[in-house]
Amino acid sequence: MKLLIPFLLLAHSASAQLRLVALPGKSPLVTFRIVLTSGSEVDPADKPGLAYLTAMLLANGGTREMTYQQLTAAMFPMAASVSAQVDQEMCTFAGVTHVDNLAEYYKLLRAMLLDPGWREDDFSRVKEDAINNLKVGLRGNNDEELAKEVLYQNIFRDTPYGHYPGGSVTSLEKITLDDVKLFYRAQYSQSNVILGIAGGYPETFPDTMKKDFRKLPEGAGFRPRPKPPSFIESTRVVIVDKDTRSVAYSLGFPLAVTRKHPDYPALLLAASYLGQHRMGGVLYDELREKRGLNYGDYAYIEHFPQGMFLMEPAPNLARRYQIFQLWIRPVEPPTAKFALRLALYELDKLIKGGIPEDAFARTRDFLMKYVNVLTRTKRAELGYAIDSVYYAMPNYNEYLKTALAKLTRDEVNRAIQRNLRASRLVIVAVSKDGEELKRLLAGDDPSSIAYNSPKPAAVMEEDQIAGKWPLHLRPEDIQVVPVRQVFQ
Amino acid sequence: MRPKLLVSGFLAAAAFAVPAFAAQPQKIFPYPYTQEDLPNGLRLITVPTDYPNIVAAYIVVQAGSRNEVEPGHTGFAHLFEHLMFKGTEKFPAAKYNDTLRRIGAASNAFTNDDYTCFYTTFSKEDLGAVLLMEADRFQNLKYSEPEFKTETLAVLGEYNKNSSSPFRKLQEALFDTAFDRSTYKHTTMGFLKDIQDMPNQYEYSLKFFERYYRPEYTTILVVGDVKTRATREMVDKYWGSWKRGGYKPEIPVEPPQTEPRAGHVDWPTPTLPILTIAFKAPAYDDATRESAALDALADLAFSDNSDLYQKVVVTEQKAAALSGGLSDHVDPSLFQITARVRKLDDLDYVRDRILDAIRGFQDKPVDAARLDTVRKQLRYSMALRMDSSDAIAGVLANYVALRRTPETLNRQFEQYARLTPEDVQNVAARYLVEAGRTIVTLTGPAPVGAATVTRPWRARERFRRRTASGGAR
Repeated sequence: MKLLIPFLLLAHSASAQLRLVALPGKSPLVTFRIVLTSGSEVDPADKPGLAYLTAMLLANGGTREMTYQQLTAAMFPMAASVSAQVDQEMCTFAGVTHVDNLAEYYKLLRAMLLDPGWREDDFSRVKEDAINNLKVGLRGNNDEELAKEVLYQNIFRDTPYGHYPGGSVTSLEKITLDDVKLFYRAQYSQSNVILGIAGGYPETFPDTMKKDFRKLPEGAGFRPRPKPPSFIESTRVVIVDKDTRSVAYSLGFPLAVTRKHPDYPALLLAASYLGQHRMGGVLYDELREKRGLNYGDYAYIEHFPQGMFLMEPAPNLARRYQIFQLWIRPVEPPTAKFALRLALYELDKLIKGGIPEDAFARTRDFLMKYVNVLTRTKRAELGYAIDSVYYAMPNYNEYLKTALAKLTRDEVNRAIQRNLRASRLVIVAVSKDGEELKRLLAGDDPSSIAYNSPKPAAVMEEDQIAGKWPLHLRPEDIQVVPVRQVFQ
Repeated sequence: MRPKLLVSGFLAAAAFAVPAFAAQPQKIFPYPYTQEDLPNGLRLITVPTDYPNIVAAYIVVQAGSRNEVEPGHTGFAHLFEHLMFKGTEKFPAAKYNDTLRRIGAASNAFTNDDYTCFYTTFSKEDLGAVLLMEADRFQNLKYSEPEFKTETLAVLGEYNKNSSSPFRKLQEALFDTAFDRSTYKHTTMGFLKDIQDMPNQYEYSLKFFERYYRPEYTTILVVGDVKTRATREMVDKYWGSWKRGGYKPEIPVEPPQTEPRAGHVDWPTPTLPILTIAFKAPAYDDATRESAALDALADLAFSDNSDLYQKVVVTEQKAAALSGGLSDHVDPSLFQITARVRKLDDLDYVRDRILDAIRGFQDKPVDAARLDTVRKQLRYSMALRMDSSDAIAGVLANYVALRRTPETLNRQFEQYARLTPEDVQNVAARYLVEAGRTIVTLTGPAPVGAATVTRPWRARERFRRRTASGGAR
């Protein structure tokens, strides 16, 4: 029960006024990111999804003066729109316009956020979309995203992070337009907003924005803080049972290391060594390249929603508590247990043996340059700059390059030992015949694997070891949930 | 081209010194570029941009699933995209990957109906290293049969990860139903049975490389913080000795469709019903206004600013999503309208409103002011897409795949500028016709206890069975 958790109220300092990040440039495009530093974690316990519905209504509803239809018609010739992203601690409204249309676009954006229309027909459309996002989008269309979101929810069970930002079907069904208006009034305050603008805007433009957003109430300057993430005493498995071709896994545990923590650069390096989306790495090499088990396998030290569609996590998902996660892309059912064992075996090998010297140097060099690629668009640069304001840390690029340059292999290995583990995990699998997978995972039988081509002796030998990697799972540690009950 | 002028215009935009971009008769592509052919037929396009430090190298091979002309070998263009990462004697896969990591590059590839594209984004000082390694793998790729077999499993893994999306299945069924002989009959992933047989096709894979990984099929795009001359010198050095090939595929010509077709996909898990209505449409063409008029029609009739969208999505809320259009293709393809409907009972209603909307555009010319709005939208939409060097390269890759030159983009927008309301009416009347139509629906299982659902559209349309939609499970 979330309500029973004592919230610590943290007073923001006097500097917690309306904050603004401006990155002038010579591009003819102007990028906006307006971030509310309050999100799903403040959803009332009986109304998960309220922050989400509020943000979606602002981004997809009319203003007091214009219906949604009129707003769409006004945006259309500019090829412009406003998108919303909702996470536990942030709601982000983003858009881009050509500088030709800056005044007109900004007028619409401002009205959407500061002077919303609160129409019932907009609300019912947005609410229906939110429900379908759960019923169809998450449950039905995308096993990997489903596994990830069930993992994120489960890792933080019994904390304010312990629900999907998009809510649950029963909760969304009962949320009213009045709930949304109340939430808006309570949370959308000056002290909860970071304004961001980048590109070829006129010099005085940021001041205009600040002046406009001072129309929001000043705000109490208080925010709830989640208790430390729940301690996972022993590995627990959630199998989401649905009719699907293959088995999609996501697994991990809570991590107290955020971007500003001294161990962050070392753990980022460790995760990069294990492998990240489309970048290769140990997991990718061992599971996919050598054994053809699936399409890819990656590790992250930050929450990564929408991973199916993105090469790297989007900015403005800042959190006070993060997670370590392994993402094993769908595997054929006969190799499901072996793939899980092999991934954990590789993680365990890293923890016990540390990162090899040559791999350490290579990965460090990669990250020092890759950070430029990561922030190559104004959109990303602005997003990372806003995150740095939130975390109260220096510019991400400079900070990371400086920290990586000083980092030693020993420091990385010590950080790995302090923070990573291959036990006491939450493991989520999306699979058909959930009970069958449960029986398989709970048994101690070695997992064997047959290949369609000869493998080097080293691979075969390692298979023998990985195939016996102890999962230590009892039937009572494994819960099989029909997909229709997930996010219900 | 007006390179210098446009560059200064680009800078001045920030100071509000230039007239509105959308009103300008200037070319849509604002960057100066050079386009050069090596004696072996390889084409190099270099585009210096204002974005500092970063360079994007996009290598376009004009071979996609369209080129898979032999039965049993669908999906090979995509498989080959994977195989290109298997390494050479000089740069075995591990060394290739280590080098990319050392230089901090983001690198990947994708395949679609008409082409395969290999792309790398990196710091400007590493251009030489990237061009050297890319030249090596395009000329000296080497992989063993066991490596080949393992990679075919990764492709099956990719099929598996995609297979939980009903939209993927719907596309498979649509293309299989709508086409008889065109290689667009199969999706880029290929038929599942062919993917499952890939491990046995090592010899064929070597043939595929021999045929298509040749300079005359290949265009290198180098976009970003680069110098044109130095880039050409590096390309000459590393790619100059690549041998021209001689293979020209005979792509089957699709016979004219003479009657409407229909199909249905039963999806095993709950989903909103999806409806797609597709019409046979011409290949990309910028010598006439037809392709441009079909793009404008898509915006006018099916964008979120269209009357139809506002009616069925916003006001009546019968559909959760609606979109439509024709993507640029080398061969005749499909103009496709897709709607996700909120209730099964409304499937026919939404279908009929789409067909009504089409008739409206056939019956009378669209308002000229609305067409102007669409033109403006198309120009700004393109401008907003070009927000980094790799985004610019990505935009150009698509046009290079069609006509091998960035000028294609300019020509397309010149045709948008010339469009008349009658052009839009004409293409609606010529192409969005019953004889060229295919309707495919996808629905989930009926709720427990629900009455049997009748599907009247099945009775009215000729129902064709497809192997792809049944074979996947």
